[in-house]
Amino acid sequence: MKESLLDVLCCPLDKHDLELEDAVGDDDVESGTLVCTECGERYPIEDGIPNLLPPDMREETPA
Amino acid sequence: MDLAERRGMETDVYQPAADSRLLAEAAIDRLSDRSSGRMLEVGTGSGYVAAQLRAALQWDVVASDLNPNACREAHDRGIDVVRGDLVEPFGAETFDAVLFNPPYLPTDPSVERDDWMEVALSGGPSGRAVVEPFLETVRRVLRPDGVVLLLVSSLTGMSDVTELAGDAGFSAIAVTTESFPYESLTVLELVQ
Repeated sequence: MKESLLDVLCCPLDKHDLELEDAVGDDDVESGTLVCTECGERYPIEDGIPNLLPPDMREETPA
Repeated sequence: MDLAERRGMETDVYQPAADSRLLAEAAIDRLSDRSSGRMLEVGTGSGYVAAQLRAALQWDVVASDLNPNACREAHDRGIDVVRGDLVEPFGAETFDAVLFNPPYLPTDPSVERDDWMEVALSGGPSGRAVVEPFLETVRRVLRPDGVVLLLVSSLTGMSDVTELAGDAGFSAIAVTTESFPYESLTVLELVQ
């Protein structure tokens, strides 16, 4: 993901800002973690795609 | 094309169909009059609509999907994509336009399958199981003059959808309609 994408994202739970941690890659972040500045929930970035599903929806299978 | 025929498609990511093309064309037409801004395509699937819009307009295009395989496919098309639930991971007053071709086919819960294509197609018993929470939440992420372009099938109940949109504070304008053997498809523009 482009680092500028951070401007449009928020924590899906409490809508507070996210901070990028452990970023690998420059402007195009390949992996890392987005951390909510309020609740501390952590959202992984894998293969360039941030997973901003709440923890209880994160499993890979549908429904 | 009915649900059974669509199920014949051996993929777990919804591929561009008549509804995708109708939404892309209508959105390009409606948004080309507006000054460039930032748009979100919810439920982007293959990323086709987002890619069409990005090629046609000088807008920033962001997309989201629930399905990780769809996210991968859209990402491989060069789309900035986020795995998320509807508009939940996006900040308030962020977008000048939000596009959505939702899962809309009315489906009997007893025959629903547990896979990603079902998630991409099924709107629950009413056909509105996803449209309803979308309409209830989308306004938060729209800028004050932002619009929604929503694809609606006659199978989903046009008047029910416009009523839900009204409840959420929008007026709905039908910008284009196309008839098919099993349904007619309309793109609604929702203004605040």
